[in-house]
Amino acid sequence: MLNPLIRRAWASTSQFRLVLLLVVAMFAFFALTQPAFSTSTNVQNLVANSSLLWVVAMGMTFVLLSGGFDLSVGATAALTGILMAKSLELGIPGPLVVVLCVAAGALVGGLLNGVAVGKVGLSVFVVTLATMTSLTGVVSLWSGSNSFLVTAPAAKWLATERFLGLPMPIWIMAAVFLVALYVQNRTYFGRDVYAIGGSATAARLSGIHVPRTLIIVYAVAGACAALAGTIGVGRVGAAVPTVDSTLALQAIAAVLLGGTALTGGSGGVGGTALGVLFIAILQNGLSLAGVASDWQNVVTGVILIVAVAGDRIDPRLITRRRSPSSTAVDRATLSASSRGA
Amino acid sequence: MVDGHPAPLLRLEGVQKTFGPTRALKDANLTIPTGGVVHVLIGENGSGKSTLLGVLSGQIRHDAGTVSLEGRPVRFGSPVAALRHGVAMVSQEIAVAPDLSVAENVLLGRGQVRRWAGISRSASRSKAQGVLERLDFDVDPDCPVRRLRPDQRQMVEIARALTAEARILILDEPTSSLTDDEVGSLFATVRRLKAQGVAIIFVSHRMQELFEIADDITVLRDGVTVAEGSAASFTPESLVSAMLGEDPPAGREGGSAASAGVGSDDPVALRVSGLVVPGSVEDFRLDLRRGEIVGLAGLVGAGRSEVLESIFGARGHAAGTFEIHGKPYVPHGPRRAIAHGIGFVPADRKADGLVLGMSVGANMTMVDTHDAPRLAPPARGRGAATVARVAASLRLNPQLAETGTARLSGGNQQKVAVAKWLVRRPGVLLLDEPTRGVDVMAKADIHQELRAIAAAGSALLVNSSEIDELLTLCHRVLVMFRGRVVADLAVPDTDDSEILKLAGGQPC
Repeated sequence: MLNPLIRRAWASTSQFRLVLLLVVAMFAFFALTQPAFSTSTNVQNLVANSSLLWVVAMGMTFVLLSGGFDLSVGATAALTGILMAKSLELGIPGPLVVVLCVAAGALVGGLLNGVAVGKVGLSVFVVTLATMTSLTGVVSLWSGSNSFLVTAPAAKWLATERFLGLPMPIWIMAAVFLVALYVQNRTYFGRDVYAIGGSATAARLSGIHVPRTLIIVYAVAGACAALAGTIGVGRVGAAVPTVDSTLALQAIAAVLLGGTALTGGSGGVGGTALGVLFIAILQNGLSLAGVASDWQNVVTGVILIVAVAGDRIDPRLITRRRSPSSTAVDRATLSASSRGA
Repeated sequence: MVDGHPAPLLRLEGVQKTFGPTRALKDANLTIPTGGVVHVLIGENGSGKSTLLGVLSGQIRHDAGTVSLEGRPVRFGSPVAALRHGVAMVSQEIAVAPDLSVAENVLLGRGQVRRWAGISRSASRSKAQGVLERLDFDVDPDCPVRRLRPDQRQMVEIARALTAEARILILDEPTSSLTDDEVGSLFATVRRLKAQGVAIIFVSHRMQELFEIADDITVLRDGVTVAEGSAASFTPESLVSAMLGEDPPAGREGGSAASAGVGSDDPVALRVSGLVVPGSVEDFRLDLRRGEIVGLAGLVGAGRSEVLESIFGARGHAAGTFEIHGKPYVPHGPRRAIAHGIGFVPADRKADGLVLGMSVGANMTMVDTHDAPRLAPPARGRGAATVARVAASLRLNPQLAETGTARLSGGNQQKVAVAKWLVRRPGVLLLDEPTRGVDVMAKADIHQELRAIAAAGSALLVNSSEIDELLTLCHRVLVMFRGRVVADLAVPDTDDSEILKLAGGQPC
C-alpha cells in the first residue's frame, strides 16, 4: 500500500496528470536518446531559456483562474524593455529601474485591462486585444523602431549572474513560483480569485470586492510581464522595438496544459509550472535531435487538445476505478485538489 | 368518448415521468376534442405542470402512458419533432434573437424561403408579413426585436409558432410579464387564433384571467389530473380546492408556535417604505421586527425577488427609503448590505448562492471573511468553532468541510448556502426560495434553524413559491400581485386557498 502522503500528493496532481506524465516521459526519452540532453549545462539552459514564459505564465494563471485571459502581456514586456533602456540611459540606478519597470507593468495591467474588465465590465478579449494593439504602437513610436544596447550591470546581473552555481533566472523563477503558490493557496486574495472564476455573482453577493480583485489580478499579470521584459533585455543585451506576439498565447497554452480551466475557478500555478516545462523540454529535446523547431508547435498544439479533452474524460475514469473502496477521507482528499497545487 | 365520434385532436392518457427519486407525473390526463378551443392547464408549483408541457412540446420523454394526435399515438423525440406534428410552445422566458429583425425572428429555424442556394429576402419577408397580418400584429417586419416591448416580443414568438403551421399552441404563463393593457391585446390574439381553428393550451394562475379566456380546464396536483371539465363547471373556489386537495396540509403548528414570540412592541429591524423598482415593484412597504419571519407570496412576475434584491442592493439603485434598526440605510451593493448586518440567500444556489468548485468550508466562511485583510494568511481554525456550530445546527456533517461543494446533494448544498450567512449572525436575513428543490429532511432542518435564529433575534424575510412553506415558517405573509402588496395576513388566521386567490388577483 502506498504511503498516505504520496497518495495525497498523487491525488493533488489530478488536474495536470497527463502533462506530468508527459514531462517525465519526455525527459526520460530525450535523456536516453540524446546524450547531450541530460547534462547539467543543458538542463540549466533549458530551464533558464523558459524563464520569460515561466514568469509571464505565473501571472497569466491568476487571470485564467479569475475567468479571463490577457493578450497584452507580450506588448507590456516589450514596452518595459524600452522603458528599462531609456531609464538606464538617464542614469537611474539599476535596481531602482527594475522596480520601476515592474511597477509600470502593474500600472498598465491594472489601469487599462483591470479597470476596463473588472470595473466597466467590458469583454476580456476586446480589452486585452486593444491594449496589446495600442502598446505595440507605443513601443514602435517611443523607440523610433531602434534597438537599444543595454550594458548596465543590473541587466547582466538579472540574466547571467550565478548564485550557488545556478543562473539568476532560475532563482527568479523559483521566487516567482513560491510567491504565486503562497498567494494562491494561503491568502484570502487567492481564494477570492477562485471564487470569482467559479461564480462572479456568488462572489459578489458574498461581499467579495470583485472589481478590485480583478484590477489586482490584471496588475499582477502586467507586473509579471514587465519582470519578464527586464529579464529578456538582460539575456539579449538589448531592448528591441518588436513585440513577441506569441508570448501571450504561449503563456495561455502553458496555463491550459497545466490543467487550469479557461472558464476559471479551477487549476493553479503548480500545473502551470509543468506546462511551461513541457514546452521547454520539447523545444530543447527536438532541437538537440535535429528536428525542425516547427514540429514543437505542432506537438504542443496536439497535446493541448488532448490535455483539455482528457480533462473531460479523466476524472470519471479515475474516480470510477477508485470508488468501490474509497472512503470519505479519500473523496475529501481528491476534492481538496480542486484548489490545485 | 362515444363510439363513432371522431378521435380527439390531442389526448394524453396516464402519462408518467420519474426524475431520479421524484415522480413528477403519476397519472396525467388531458383531452382537447377539436381545434378552436382554449384549454387552461392549472396546478400549483411542483404539481408536474412544467413536466407535462415538456412532454407535449418534445423536450421531455415520458416513461409510460400515451400521447395521441387524432387517435394516432405519437412520441416526440425533440421540440422539432413536436413542431413537425403541429405542436408549438411559447415558453415563459421569451426567447428571441434581439438583433435580428421581426421577420427574421418569425421565420427563425425553418421558415426562411429558400431560392437557388440562399435565402430569398423578399419572399421571406412577405411570408412573415402574412403571419403578422394573420395575428393582426401591426409592426414593421424590419424592426430589430431589441426595440420591441415584452408583449410585442411575445407576439413575435407566437408568430414564429404559427409559421410552423401549429395546430396546437402552448402558452406557458404568457401573462406573467405583461401589463393589463398588454394582457388585453394578448387575449384578443388568442381569440383570433381560436377562431382560425388553432387549439390553445394556456397556463395561468390568475383566476380572473383564466375564467375570461378558458373553454376547458384541466387541474393537475402532485402529478395527477384531479379535475377536468368545461370552464363553466368550475368556480374560483372549486378550482382552488381542486388544486390544493381536500385535506389542509399538516405542519402549520410550527408557525403558530413561533408566532407567540413576536409582538407589535418589538423593535423594527428593517423598515422599507416607498420601494419602487420600475416595471416590477410599486410602493412596497414593510416593517420587519426583531424575531419576526415575514413571507412574500405571489405568482411568477409579481415582483417578490426584486424586493429582496433591492433591499440587499444587488440590483442597482432602488427608489425608496430604508432603515435598519432605526438608522437610515441606502442600498449600494452587497458589501454595504453585509456591513449593515443584512444577509441574502439567492434563489439559484448553484449559480448565485455558492461557488460549486470550492470546498464546503471555503463557501461557509466566504461571507464571514470577506472583510479580512486579503494578503493575511487565513488563520487555520479562524471561526472553525463557529462553522462547526452552524454546520451542527443545520445537521450538516462537519467532516464535509474539505469536500467540493459540487459533490453535495441539493439539500446539503442549500444548507451550505444558508449556513454561510449564519456564521456571522445577520440582523436581517433575506431568503429567496430557501428550500427550492431540496428533500423533505433538509427542508425541515433548514426551517428549524431559521426559526431558531429568529427566536434569537434575527428578522427574516422569506420569499417562496410554496404557500405551504410560508404557512409553516412565517408569522405573517404579504401577498403580492403585479408588483403591489395586496394583502398582509397573520398566519394563524389565513390559509392556502385565501393566499392563492389573492395571488391570482381575486379580491376576497
